[in-house]
Amino acid sequence: MGLQNEEKLELGCSGSQPRSKKWVLLTVRVIAFLATATATLVMALNKETKTLVVAMVGSTPIKVTLTAKFQHTPAFVFFVIANGMASFHNLMMIMVELFGQKLDYKGLRLAMIAILDMTTVALISGGASAATFMAEVGKNGNSHARWNKICDKFETFCDRGGVAIIASSAGLILMLIITAMSIFKLLNKPKSVSS
Amino acid sequence: MVKPKRLLRLLLRIIVLGSTLAAVIIMATSHEKGTFFALSYEAKYSDTPAFKFFVIANAIVTVYGFLVLFIPSESQLWGLVLALDLVFTMLLISSISAALAVAQVGKKGNSSAGWLPVCGQVTKYCNQVTRALVAGFIAIITYIILLLYSIYTFLNPLLGKNG
Repeated sequence: MGLQNEEKLELGCSGSQPRSKKWVLLTVRVIAFLATATATLVMALNKETKTLVVAMVGSTPIKVTLTAKFQHTPAFVFFVIANGMASFHNLMMIMVELFGQKLDYKGLRLAMIAILDMTTVALISGGASAATFMAEVGKNGNSHARWNKICDKFETFCDRGGVAIIASSAGLILMLIITAMSIFKLLNKPKSVSS
Repeated sequence: MVKPKRLLRLLLRIIVLGSTLAAVIIMATSHEKGTFFALSYEAKYSDTPAFKFFVIANAIVTVYGFLVLFIPSESQLWGLVLALDLVFTMLLISSISAALAVAQVGKKGNSSAGWLPVCGQVTKYCNQVTRALVAGFIAIITYIILLLYSIYTFLNPLLGKNG
């Protein structure tokens, strides 16, 4: 154990370069985690109740209470689940990076990290795009299908949904950068002497 | 002399090309006209931005897939092809996810938003859209297999004897 530490110190200048890269990757992961976690929370807590007057019977108005929740739309449910899983993945990767330096599986550690990053990118992109297009239908309606727009009545719901989608898109771009960095790390991996 | 690895990759690329082309053609030709109680309606894929995005994304991947077939085997471009494959996989997943989200509302409606399902009135259109989405799914699954296989063959010489 002591010998290994000495070897790491002896790398010197060539060792400091991967060091700063490690911190850069970690910082970007933390920001991506915050972005996807924000998206998950904002969408999961997205709920608006509104009381609308539907008809008038004589002089008493008949009121109907309508609620807009994210659970009503499967696309938003998928969005919440996808971003939740992405946040979990980022958290796990941060933990492994900080505390699990010895964790390895037949030398495939970097490859597994890269592949998991790619699947997370795919997941976030699917969730974000589904939610974006559903939000577009909610905002503009669809005259051909006789679907009315709902954003003029439920403004707060739409606004919060928009914020969540923007946060998720930011997380997606960051995850793309992280994936590129992970693949780069994988390609530049120093060949292990002991095999 | 064609190695079996190269043959497998070529076969996968041809399947992807075929599926994306099929998805584009089936979705673009989905079209139904009819009358519903003296109201004439017309359903086309261009009514919904999600389906337009689906057609455009699959068209881009089709053109790309067609161009990639012409790259010679030992060219330096294969690294770029791998990176572009990753980006296009993401694009395809994005497009089918969006199209599925809207198609699901078209089939089941959304009672909380007051949106009625439209598949009852335009059955032929709905079926054709479903077929296009199935083609899109086949394209994605094949593309993911191709991507994993490309990464495996690309990395194997680099990993040394650890693989």
